[in-house]
Amino acid sequence: MSSTPSGDGGQAPPAVELRGITKRFPGVVANHDINISVAPGTVHAIVGENGAGKSTLMKTLYGMHRPDEGTIHVNGRQVKFTSPSDAIRNGIGMVHQHFMLADNLTVLENVVLGAERLHGIGARARAEILRLSGQYGLGVDPDRLMEDLGVGDRQRVEILKVLYRGARTIILDEPTAVLVPQEVDELFDNLRELKREGLTVIFISHKLDEVLSVADEITVIRRGTTVATADPGTTTARELATLMVGGELPVPELRESTVTDRVVLSLDGVTVRSGDGRAVVDGVGIDIHEGEIVGIAGVEGNGQSELIEAIMGMRPVSSGRIRLGGQDITGWHTLKIREAGVGYIPEDRHRHGVLLESSLWENRILGHQTKRPSVRGPWIDRAGARADAERIVSEYDVRTPNIDVIADALSGGNQQKFIIGREMSGEPRFLVAAHPTRGVDVGAQSAIWEQLREARAAGLAVLLVSADLDELIGMSDTLHVILRGRLVAQADPTSVTPEQLGSAMTGAGLGGDGGTQTTEGGSGDDTADRDGGGA
Amino acid sequence: MTDTATRPGAPRILIPALLIALLGTIVTVALDTVLLWWAALIIGVVLAFAAVVLVDRRMPEAERTGASGTKEEGTTLHRTLVVPTALVLSVVSGLLLAWFLDLSLIEPVAAALGAFAGSAAALLLYRRLSAMLALSFAAVFAAGIIAIAVTALVLFFSGIAPGATFARMVEYGTRPNSLVQIINDGTTYYLAAVAVAIGFKMKLFNIGVDGQYRLAALMAAAVGGWLVLPPVLSQIVIILVAVAVGGAWAGIAGYLKVTRGVSEVISTIMLNAIATGITAYLLNTDRLAVEISTNNIGTPPLPEGSWIPGIPAAFLGSEREIFGLVLLAAAVGVGYAVMLNRTRFGFELRATGQSQSAAEASGVNVKKMVFLSMLFSGMVAGLVGMPQLLGSSHYYALDFPTGIGFIGIAIALLGRNHPVGIAFAALFWAFLNQAAGILPFDGIPQEIAVIAQATIVLTVVVVYEVVHRWGRRYQQQQIGKELGTTVAGPAEETAPTGAASDSGDGTGDDTPGTGRGGEAK
Repeated sequence: MSSTPSGDGGQAPPAVELRGITKRFPGVVANHDINISVAPGTVHAIVGENGAGKSTLMKTLYGMHRPDEGTIHVNGRQVKFTSPSDAIRNGIGMVHQHFMLADNLTVLENVVLGAERLHGIGARARAEILRLSGQYGLGVDPDRLMEDLGVGDRQRVEILKVLYRGARTIILDEPTAVLVPQEVDELFDNLRELKREGLTVIFISHKLDEVLSVADEITVIRRGTTVATADPGTTTARELATLMVGGELPVPELRESTVTDRVVLSLDGVTVRSGDGRAVVDGVGIDIHEGEIVGIAGVEGNGQSELIEAIMGMRPVSSGRIRLGGQDITGWHTLKIREAGVGYIPEDRHRHGVLLESSLWENRILGHQTKRPSVRGPWIDRAGARADAERIVSEYDVRTPNIDVIADALSGGNQQKFIIGREMSGEPRFLVAAHPTRGVDVGAQSAIWEQLREARAAGLAVLLVSADLDELIGMSDTLHVILRGRLVAQADPTSVTPEQLGSAMTGAGLGGDGGTQTTEGGSGDDTADRDGGGA
Repeated sequence: MTDTATRPGAPRILIPALLIALLGTIVTVALDTVLLWWAALIIGVVLAFAAVVLVDRRMPEAERTGASGTKEEGTTLHRTLVVPTALVLSVVSGLLLAWFLDLSLIEPVAAALGAFAGSAAALLLYRRLSAMLALSFAAVFAAGIIAIAVTALVLFFSGIAPGATFARMVEYGTRPNSLVQIINDGTTYYLAAVAVAIGFKMKLFNIGVDGQYRLAALMAAAVGGWLVLPPVLSQIVIILVAVAVGGAWAGIAGYLKVTRGVSEVISTIMLNAIATGITAYLLNTDRLAVEISTNNIGTPPLPEGSWIPGIPAAFLGSEREIFGLVLLAAAVGVGYAVMLNRTRFGFELRATGQSQSAAEASGVNVKKMVFLSMLFSGMVAGLVGMPQLLGSSHYYALDFPTGIGFIGIAIALLGRNHPVGIAFAALFWAFLNQAAGILPFDGIPQEIAVIAQATIVLTVVVVYEVVHRWGRRYQQQQIGKELGTTVAGPAEETAPTGAASDSGDGTGDDTPGTGRGGEAK
């Protein structure tokens, strides 16, 4: 493995060089002593596990905050950025993980928005967009309405936006997180095109296979600092993984099947309509059994969130039935559903899972405010809630000084572990787990998987929604694919590959040996229930 | 690290506490013979504080109230801010108590008791004051100083000597009769501010306390005046009518918000205007009113059996009486505190205020909470006019005090919606009002009090928020240090989702890391 300290090519000065960057945040040192040198005209990948400090570093480079220590050099010149516009002026542009595009505007309007002074907003701007699009092979049509575009196209518009503003170095923050495998390949073709035209790309990811296939040089970040620089030609994914986590990467997997034939949650033709009457969840039917984890795969925004909210009673069901243990819970209030033994790990824990400004023990009460031990009648049972919060902290290995700290002071992984501990208390029958390991560090990730496995062994039924295909395949007993609100395919997690799943997620069908529409009991017993795709 | 389990044994603290309090008292009494009482007291309490610092290490671990549980001893913040704040607070509390007792007791006894209390406070504060609480006090001090400075500047540029004016205000404001007036006004203000604070805790802005209390007072006065009931029952009926009318009036706004999504700010403002119209319509000799004097009409005066007797204020050296309903205000304050911190309803209220989405996902019926908190806010607002009605004027007439609802908003802001904070804020507000009453006699515009009040609300809100945010960040850093982690917590997934400001030549105003920082009230 070649782990030279930093690129010392010799000829041209590095396009971007970071020296000794340290950035502290409330509660944490996000980056310390970062040294990276990016050669011009290359794709430079920065890899690290979730929470290693990659995004923080890139925000520093993009001028969104200033480093506490260290210097930034662009083309050999030392620069100081106080805002993103400074970075743009120095030819550095950034494509964020979450797109910042206005749906109701055209591509042209989105691109010129905020950069009207460059080429106006009319014919000149259009000509410039077409020129850039042609030069870099982006294939962007300036007159399409943004809401008509798919995720891959949107990303290309974001890249074009950056190019339009004159960037010579482009930062891509986890660009593949929202893409299915086929779109990833297209993106990589675009990146190679950019490179050929002499641009520099900084590519942030934690997916090692992707990094190895596209990068010219790889910098590994672990726990906020650069630990190595590697050459993709001579490094393997395994070696990178070891560098990233300082040990072996945990793999999500289930052991022997614990699926029983007792149905806990049964969805029957559940349809949810959005405000304008469109069916965002369309005739979904699933049975989830005791001891079974049912995974839902799908590109984000295909109705997963709405389905979960419908099950949790946060969104009205327009037709269909939801039954919990034989009891019809359709139209019940969230509180009643929770009291009936449903746990909920929300996809956005800051919005739905915790009160950031309240202490941990108060967060213990949240969502369980009618149940012991946190409440006695109409009164809060402080002692009970505190004792149980202590129990969660120790049983679920929540790293915190004590239970009086506010939730905001904890890292994402520890917040998530606390939420899981809370939702597992009171012995739920059924658990909705939406992206349970999103934004969580590796250690917490394997702990969370282990807790799900244990709960499953104890007879819990779980609905697992995730964007991480490896997690879905590894943790599910049964796997459904959701597309535009419908279950379009059922896959066997023991044999399906992420690529097959990805193609099913875009509507191309599973193809190959994944076994569309008909399933067999994955691991020993018969889990074949009603197939998805109901009209 | 986790030392929360062991609560300090009470007896082990009691003896050193008594000794320290006695030390402070004895020093004060001894020095009182040679020095002025207040100088003696300051020295006594400071010595007691020093003793606390020395002794503290041998005492069991204390739990700090409101702390987020980090070890605070030894940090810079603790040394430079918390300890001095604790010292100042204990001296001030001793002085205030001594001064207050001095009004009714002989001076040496008052000083001794003040010193005793101050020394005891020294022990308590040194051991229990958390950084966050100290920061709050420091913020209020700072805001007070800024407000005084601004007022002084205004005076100075108007050609009036600031020092003399302030001295005159303090002198007049602390006269016995002024004190009674301050307590009475403060009682009314307190009720109004609690009414507003209930809404604020849910991020609901009940601007309509004013209309609610005026309408409630009119109705209650009319019922009490026309309907002659036996004593006790009469008072109860009057108060219940006021509560019901206030609640109903605010409930309209709550209902509109829940069912039709009408902003409660708009609807309560409108309801204020409607309430004004209704009171003007009803307060007519053809309807609810009778002629009270040549120039005034109002509801028929309450029979004496329906009054609520005042509390003689001889202990303040005044002939006048304190509203009997000051006890009701205190009860409302206690009820508010208990409701907020100890009940499920209060928890759901705070949860909804902090994060509506999280509350909803947790099964809180947000709509019900909105309606109920609006209703409760209005019910407390209904009480606002009661001390005045039952304790002093005994009828609702054209000259019934108005505008208290708006004062309540300012006081709730000043008191940070905290039951105790509001009490101090209400008294302070009443003090400024009362103290400014003397100024016209000296040819100084009375409006100086309004300027002071406005400045202090603004500065408190701003300074408090700034200091609080800074303090929280500091504390998070302490926790980070304690855990020794270097994992990026806040940076992940907080990629700005707001405007596209950073894509163009915008200002790039995203403050990463604190992307979801606390919301200023």
